[in-house]
Amino acid sequence: MQTAELLALSVFAGVYAFIISERVHRTVAAMLGASVILFLNIVPWEKVPEYLDLDTILLLAGMMVVVNIARESGLFEYIAIKTAKFSKGDPMKVLLLFSVVTAVVSAFLDNVTTVLLLTPMLIYITKQMDVNPVPFLLAEVFSSNIGGTATLIGDPPNIMIGSAADLSFNEFIANMTPIALVDLFLAIGIIYLAFRREVSAHKKRTDVIRRSIMTLNEEDALKDRALFRKSVIMILAIVVGFFFHDILGIKPAVIALTGASVLLLWSGASPEYALEKVEWATLFFFGGLFIIVGALVETGFIDQVARWMTGHIHSETQAILVISWFSAVASAIIDNIPFTATMIPLIKAMGGTLDTYPLWWALSLGACLGGNGTAIGASANVVVIGIAYREGIRITFTEFLKIGAVIMAATVAVGSAIIWFRYVGM
Amino acid sequence: MVNINRLILRKFRNIAGSRYEEILKSYREFLLTEEEMRIPRVDSVLLAIDRYSGEVPEGVFRLLEHYSPQKVTVIYVIDRNTYRLIRDTLGEKDAEKFRERESELAEKFLKAVSSALDAFGLNWSREIVFAEKTEYVEGLMNDYDVLVIGKQYGLESTKTHHISPLVFRIVQHVTKPVVLY
Repeated sequence: MQTAELLALSVFAGVYAFIISERVHRTVAAMLGASVILFLNIVPWEKVPEYLDLDTILLLAGMMVVVNIARESGLFEYIAIKTAKFSKGDPMKVLLLFSVVTAVVSAFLDNVTTVLLLTPMLIYITKQMDVNPVPFLLAEVFSSNIGGTATLIGDPPNIMIGSAADLSFNEFIANMTPIALVDLFLAIGIIYLAFRREVSAHKKRTDVIRRSIMTLNEEDALKDRALFRKSVIMILAIVVGFFFHDILGIKPAVIALTGASVLLLWSGASPEYALEKVEWATLFFFGGLFIIVGALVETGFIDQVARWMTGHIHSETQAILVISWFSAVASAIIDNIPFTATMIPLIKAMGGTLDTYPLWWALSLGACLGGNGTAIGASANVVVIGIAYREGIRITFTEFLKIGAVIMAATVAVGSAIIWFRYVGM
Repeated sequence: MVNINRLILRKFRNIAGSRYEEILKSYREFLLTEEEMRIPRVDSVLLAIDRYSGEVPEGVFRLLEHYSPQKVTVIYVIDRNTYRLIRDTLGEKDAEKFRERESELAEKFLKAVSSALDAFGLNWSREIVFAEKTEYVEGLMNDYDVLVIGKQYGLESTKTHHISPLVFRIVQHVTKPVVLY
């Protein structure tokens, strides 16, 4: 192993260790790692644009601006109240409706924002229903991660995969949405079976529910009606734009940035405020990671691993199974973003001997659904458990693991089977 | 397990930042608190009206019906100071004329209110008093659980305020819940 290769690998391992330990903020770890790589000239400065995936970074930035402006209108609280009222305080309906709404919103907007905005309402409803909130919160977490799997913009790994493999929004819809749909109802079914006593409880405290939920007025949540209308129109326009981006020959990042700019102009929202609320830490985290993984590509380490892998994996069937299950297990333990950033060049390098098209879907499946495996597997899990903790509701690591591991295994098994049937067949 | 819980909370702080507090603040504006969820016990209600109060909306009676108080006392307050002012400046005859007009108006108002209270099945009693409009209501409120009062109660003829300054004062001084219509 050459010195540059050894250094790149050491930086990569060090950054991973920092990210896993959470002792240092993941962005700081990635920025520090990238600085060392650039300082040592392992990735030459002129090659930085090649490794820095601007499609991913700008798509994320564009969507963050849109979400930040839309949030100010009260759109998400409006959705939460509407969902609560539709459920009429029936535990089963609450489970089903909140799961479906969380999945749909997560498919188009980021999972963390979705659960941050829906969880307070879910906790409020379960308190009024006087039921154990844990199954409902767990269903929300799993639905968010499954919903994120469904589209190109649903989860950062999908954005990265779409950009690296040049996969369109429609290809994600055709390949991942059906899997996500099946997996969503599978996960709800598992939750129902595991917590059927809590979920199928008879409607109690009907007068309290009527007063506390049915009298809520969704209109009260709207802070700015004009902004609400404009936000809804622009989000729909952006989604329509995503459907046509490949026909128009425009990158998804351009659609998101255009949408963000038009919404800024149309709404008159303060650009300082909208841009200040962009998660710059996340974007710099991505930037740092791309450079660190770029160093592994630049030094030839990724090529060596890919050669080793293709020497042991002889068919697409094996590759689909290995990638989907390895990604799922790895993503259940470590952050799926650095994991996906590492796997992307590996899968690209396997292209010489294998058809990589189904492998991208296997990676997406594993990286997104693996997050359901443990309490720390995905940001949505951490956010919901953190909110629950603050509200005095304890979801322990073991409690999460028991149900999360089953859901992860079931959804990845079903997903990889669907991919295998579609691309390899019997 | 302790370390994992700490790790989760540390990660939560890193991911959510101050966003959760902002969202909670916005939810607090329309979700009921635990205190608001509890139905307070209401046995007696004082409904104070005067010539400026206007019609009592049906929603007020519906709300009172929900609490099922044992008694609703309706008082029509005629301003004692105005009566004295007329007597001292214009004489006894005009003061008496003012009292008669006010009493007629009071009867009209009380008739409308009492028939509405009957329609909602609420027990009531009625009274017409000559009194100082704020101090009298504030004093009575020691014996009642809820005060119902119109925003325009005691409004000056100039109508410079959307809510009468007298009502502002009553709301500030009374320690019991006030239903403002």
